[in-house]
Amino acid sequence: MGTIMGQLALVIDLNTCVGCHACAVNCKEWNTQAEFGPLSDFDPYGEKPSGVWYNRIMTYEIGNYPHTQVLHLPKSCLHCQDPPCVPVCPTGATFKREKDGIVLVNYDDCIGCKLCSWNCPYGCREFDEADKVMKKCTLCIDRIYDEALPPEQRQPACVLTCPAKARFFGDIEDPESEAYKLIKERNGFILFPSADTKPANHYLPKVETKVEVDDNVLKPDNPIFLEVLSRHKGGNR
Amino acid sequence: MHPPISLILFFLTAGLSIGSFTGIFLIDLIKGLNSNVILITKLIATALIGLGAFSASFHLGHKMRAWKAIKRFNTSWLSREAVFSGIFGFLLFISFLIQLSYNTKAYIILDILAVITGWLSAFSTAMIYTSNRFVPDWNTSLNTLYFLNMYGFLGTSLASLILYLNGNVESTKIMLIIALSLFIVGLVIRVAYNVRRYIIKLPTLNDALNLPQNREVKVLDKGSTTDNYCTTEFYYKKGKKLLPSLLPPAYILTFAVPIMLLITCIAKGTNTSFLALSLMSATVGSFIERWCFFVEGRHVQNLYYGLL
Ligand code: SF4
Ligand code: SF4
Repeated sequence: MGTIMGQLALVIDLNTCVGCHACAVNCKEWNTQAEFGPLSDFDPYGEKPSGVWYNRIMTYEIGNYPHTQVLHLPKSCLHCQDPPCVPVCPTGATFKREKDGIVLVNYDDCIGCKLCSWNCPYGCREFDEADKVMKKCTLCIDRIYDEALPPEQRQPACVLTCPAKARFFGDIEDPESEAYKLIKERNGFILFPSADTKPANHYLPKVETKVEVDDNVLKPDNPIFLEVLSRHKGGNR
Repeated sequence: MHPPISLILFFLTAGLSIGSFTGIFLIDLIKGLNSNVILITKLIATALIGLGAFSASFHLGHKMRAWKAIKRFNTSWLSREAVFSGIFGFLLFISFLIQLSYNTKAYIILDILAVITGWLSAFSTAMIYTSNRFVPDWNTSLNTLYFLNMYGFLGTSLASLILYLNGNVESTKIMLIIALSLFIVGLVIRVAYNVRRYIIKLPTLNDALNLPQNREVKVLDKGSTTDNYCTTEFYYKKGKKLLPSLLPPAYILTFAVPIMLLITCIAKGTNTSFLALSLMSATVGSFIERWCFFVEGRHVQNLYYGLL
């Protein structure tokens, strides 16, 4: 690997992400019909649908009841700056671009040995059983450099679609970029630091919010409160 | 991890091939063997490594592109395994042809190179797993030692049978002592490997999410209602259930049966059925044992799914 000149990445605000899965759906929609597609599906309308997704959203609960927080975690390839999936690939199909740090798979060279996925601690690579090659997020490389698109559209599909505006894209090594500034100003963090892969994608931490509830609301004679209580106890509706 | 049967078959055939040829080569160096035994071993070893390569190709999505695996020799253990095992098989076959057709000992050079590349291939195979930091169970030199030792005991078991069937009683005894020692060492390494599994500290979901350890975290939703590549490749639910009932037979067939049979042969005299039984038991046992090895491997990506 030569010197990486820049490092494109996603910055995801966990504070605003509502876990709606729109980013994953739009990712699938774009990538299944664009240059790196299709992303195969199996039994899509059956009992056990499965298929290849570049991006998945998992939801966690942090803390103990009643002091809990819900955390939605969208996770796609983190375009690690020290990617363990790259050196293990026997054919060189998996590589990290010098120009922008994007980690890609050349489908024509992939023999489908799966070793790269075994060496990704984040579970961000998925084997396509139809094409028999390994697939993963490309940071929409077929959008971000497409000069036929208006400049504001030259962003990953997931970023453009997020209704909560929780996703940002840019060069995390360029002090002028929004991505760089967000990481610096809002304590952007990485997943699994002990895996030592230097992920490029960053997350903006959740800020704990305390909801102050007016004592009057909880008064036993508050009619709304009484109704809620009666419903809860299975009373008449 | 989900056990790939094609790769397990490769381990067994490669082990039988590299180990048996090395055994016969060394005995020939020490005591001298008639050329027929060496020829037969070369033929069997070439066939076995060929069979192994054929079997391993079923693990690949694109068999016809398998040759491309030589491209990343400088960084990838899988690439090195492919190169070294290929050279090993090629050298063995050429050496077999030379020995068969010409009255010269020049093939010895090829044999020495075959032994070296054979063990480099075995080492590369082991390192594919040992170097994986994300399956902590595999990430230990015990794993490398076990792989090499397994190639040794499988190969010497086969070599003992070949020697005995060719009437080399004295050499068979030496080979049996080597095989027995390798089985005992193998048992010790395997027990140590299992003990280590219980005492190593695995990372937690907090590590994976980069949260302080004192915050309780649990998975509420995996993001999809059905399984996906990550939940089936890295976590084999059925295998986890079967593991406790398959590990004991793996130990018995791989170690206990061959050790008892070999001790009997050494103490009371060898016979073909004992040697064949010991070889079969070690091979079937190793098949189950390598299956367990995969199922025992806990991949850290499972943390995100609450499966570790
Ligand atoms: S997230 Fe996984 S697949 Fe992506 S670069 Fe890092 S190690 Fe490779
Ligand atoms: S599956 Fe394809 S990309 Fe991954 S290591 Fe094998 S050849 Fe390389």
